[in-house]
Amino acid sequence: MRPAEARATATLSRRICRAPAVVAALALAGCWSAPVATVKPMGEPRLIQDGIPVESVQVAVVSSVDRSAGTIELRMRGRAAIWTYRIGPQVSGLDNIKPGNVVRATVTEELAVYVLRDGELPGKGRIAEDARVLAVDASYRLLKLQYPDGRTETFKVPLGTRLEQMGAGNSVVIQPVALFALRRRG
Amino acid sequence: MREPRLGRSIARRTATVAALGAGLLPLAAHGQVTPEQATQIRDAMSNRVEALTILGGASGIAGADFRSTGRFEFSEPADAAIAVSKFGGAGDIGDPQPLGSLAVGWQPRLQGNMGWLEGTQHLNAGLLEGDVNRIKTYGIEFGGGVRFWVDDHLSFAPTLSGLYGHTSETYTANSVFMRTNLETAKQIGLVDWTLDTWTLITGVDIQYLIALRRTIITVTSSPVYYHTESFESSSASVNVKGDSGTWANMVDVDIPLGVELFGHELRMGGFYRWTGLYGGLRDGLHESNFNEIHGRLVLDFLTQLWKVQWIGIGGSYIRGPNISGWTAGADVVFRF
Repeated sequence: MRPAEARATATLSRRICRAPAVVAALALAGCWSAPVATVKPMGEPRLIQDGIPVESVQVAVVSSVDRSAGTIELRMRGRAAIWTYRIGPQVSGLDNIKPGNVVRATVTEELAVYVLRDGELPGKGRIAEDARVLAVDASYRLLKLQYPDGRTETFKVPLGTRLEQMGAGNSVVIQPVALFALRRRG
Repeated sequence: MREPRLGRSIARRTATVAALGAGLLPLAAHGQVTPEQATQIRDAMSNRVEALTILGGASGIAGADFRSTGRFEFSEPADAAIAVSKFGGAGDIGDPQPLGSLAVGWQPRLQGNMGWLEGTQHLNAGLLEGDVNRIKTYGIEFGGGVRFWVDDHLSFAPTLSGLYGHTSETYTANSVFMRTNLETAKQIGLVDWTLDTWTLITGVDIQYLIALRRTIITVTSSPVYYHTESFESSSASVNVKGDSGTWANMVDVDIPLGVELFGHELRMGGFYRWTGLYGGLRDGLHESNFNEIHGRLVLDFLTQLWKVQWIGIGGSYIRGPNISGWTAGADVVFRF
């Protein structure tokens, strides 16, 4: 190695060795904060957008199956209520499903995203939220929600969703739509 | 939420490079090597093996099809082909978590690579005309670190990893001169040798994220230091103990196109990266830097296919003072 090269390498090495000190110094001056869903949402109370179709894979307990009505009732993990989904034509194996079974269900749902004040929307009254927005990735169209029990779930939302208006603290109402895949667990 | 990526780069390279030690054979085989020349030869071989080990085995060096536009030191005119394949990359795991009571986020970072390099050199002039020199290097790297987020844009990731490398060289003598002197060359360890090396790699990845509507611009600066030593060699003439460095500076642009194909959004992007080479890497490759331009067209699979961020095609063009190269192939990035 030529002397000049040795000096250049030594200089690079010294800089890398100093990096932890630089990182520590910057860390002390950091202003990063973890995303929080309970922050006060930005903007006036309003409905930002509803009817946002999303797909979700959930572990759920079957409450009932009504073949004549073509519906199934599921209690999703982390959600208090029992929700009713329309059974899609592609769902098979329902004969083996009984109330109390734990299943892995692939469902479609619709989201409505609000800015609420004290849980209310002017002119509409109280809105029962199912989750809150924790984080938004507009580039990859990801909406990360946090449920009341602290569990989080990330949805891929379709093109055209007004993510630029959404942010942490927004209230989300989830509407069950359809079940299109079901697999019994255990 | 952005970031973690464990990428895959498979590249094949052709190049005009001088094989290790082959250009030095006439001197040595005549038994006329002075102590200064012997030191020069050992340093050159050491640097070359160090450089090829890092080139073939480390994750931080770009893959491409290289072609020489200049001549390497000590070389005789030669045609050579080098094929390098790499599988690996680096990525941050999960979402940033609070670091105690500090206003800093952290997340673990893993990096690894498996690579292999095969070079074949046909010597075209002088006493060695018609001879063929082959070199193979295998390398496996694994390590990690922690990424610290100072705010939502700026982060640092100090890392530490180790690289095992195995290099072997074989020589096919077709020239009259080497058919006569091949045994001598073997005895003094200039040809047909094998070498095992370890490399300690440490660096820091400094990153700044900029979001412009849905476009993500990532500016990265990454100085990396390599210390390489051999621990097993079949030749007393071939041993490695050296220091190298790289300093990569990159601007990456990731643009969603708002158009879906097969249910996945098309994204286009690319980057410009300047990589400075230092120490044995610079001496061994006879390159001071690489400039790389990369373009890609991919489909967004994030949250739609397990751990996959995108799948598509991409290509790079690389240019240094003495070599240029290219790579093209599948562009697959994972997010953990």
